Amino acid sequence: MLNVSSDLLKHPLLRVLAVSGLLATSVSASAHHAFSAEFDASKPVEVKGVVTKFELVNPHSWLYVDVTNADGTVTNWGFEYGAPFNLKEKGITKKTLAAGTEIKINGYKAKNGQNFGYAVSSTLADGRTVQTGGAQDAPAAPAEKAAK
Amino acid sequence: MKTKLNNKPSWAHKVGFSLLLAASVIATPLVSNAVYAADTKLPRLSNGHPDFSGIWQTTSAADFDLEPHSNRKDAPPSAGIVEGGVIPYLPSALEQKKKNFENRATDDPALKGYTLGVPRGVYYPEPFQIFQRARDLNIVQQFGHSVRTIHTNNTEHPEDANDWWLGDSRAKWEGDTLVVDAIDFNDKTWLDHAGNFHSDALHITERWKFLDPNTIEYKATLEDPKVFSKPWNISVILHRHREKNFQLIEDYRYTLDYDQYYPPKPDKK
Repeated sequence: MLNVSSDLLKHPLLRVLAVSGLLATSVSASAHHAFSAEFDASKPVEVKGVVTKFELVNPHSWLYVDVTNADGTVTNWGFEYGAPFNLKEKGITKKTLAAGTEIKINGYKAKNGQNFGYAVSSTLADGRTVQTGGAQDAPAAPAEKAAK
Repeated sequence: MKTKLNNKPSWAHKVGFSLLLAASVIATPLVSNAVYAADTKLPRLSNGHPDFSGIWQTTSAADFDLEPHSNRKDAPPSAGIVEGGVIPYLPSALEQKKKNFENRATDDPALKGYTLGVPRGVYYPEPFQIFQRARDLNIVQQFGHSVRTIHTNNTEHPEDANDWWLGDSRAKWEGDTLVVDAIDFNDKTWLDHAGNFHSDALHITERWKFLDPNTIEYKATLEDPKVFSKPWNISVILHRHREKNFQLIEDYRYTLDYDQYYPPKPDKK
């Protein structure tokens, strides 16, 4: 697999050339920016909730989920998700995550302390667990790491 | 890459073509920009339909504010381009529009270098170039170098679409007028610098028509049940760039803050 560093991808001309090259060699681009720029690998998070909005947008999708807390209150969390094409390859489209769909997400919290995170993997309503993060420097899901 | 030859271009095909087109534009920036005397016949493709190929730009002040407005520190005055003068916002959306207006100096997505979206790319004060063939028109924006494809091959919108920055555009010809149906947008773009906005339910019907070989009349109807109480119309005139050797020059601003790091200087950290 052809690897292109995310730093290199920040330059527009290089990015166009790199992505053109990727397309020509049957490999899809995965990373846009570094995981460590926005998320904290020391703060794992696991939530179970109901989808409120799914933005299937380049370069990263965003999934918003209502999570019911222990005290009964509800918090809306936003998770950075994979690129639309990567998700499509894994069978995730707009219909898969329509509003009201139940989902479990394993990931890491954002550095800014707000209710945002990076979704490493998701367990869908049908039981499938899918890798949903795209950054190349992202750590494995907390639960997966614990199992190792 | 798998290539499926069917009538519905997949997401990958669209993006792939767009990127290759963008790359080819960078590699060979000067593509023939034919100039016509005003009294000549309309330029046409071999299939007889009008050929909008060329570099176009509006002279209107639409991007500063679609609605009529007097001069401001950041905008010239304008009679606006909205039919009837007022955009019919739903009450809650009007509140959001007012907030957007107050915060326009920081929140306007164009100032962040984001893709302009539709229809803003048409009347943004920078040129765009149309490449046209029988099966589609490809619009290359100077700002953000995004590429919008308008399909004219009798295909339908995709069934399970993404939330595209430029939507999905399918068109048909009504005589010499190109009628475009555009949906499947995201809600991250604005309609102008004054904070006029839309949701991901935006539906645009565009009408592109030559007034003469160097002038296009562009009309659009915007519908969005989450934001507007009824459909509304805009209209601008687009002029062909006729300057000698005029060409698009890349205006990609999203990465300007990173320019200091490129090209990489390994010895000077």
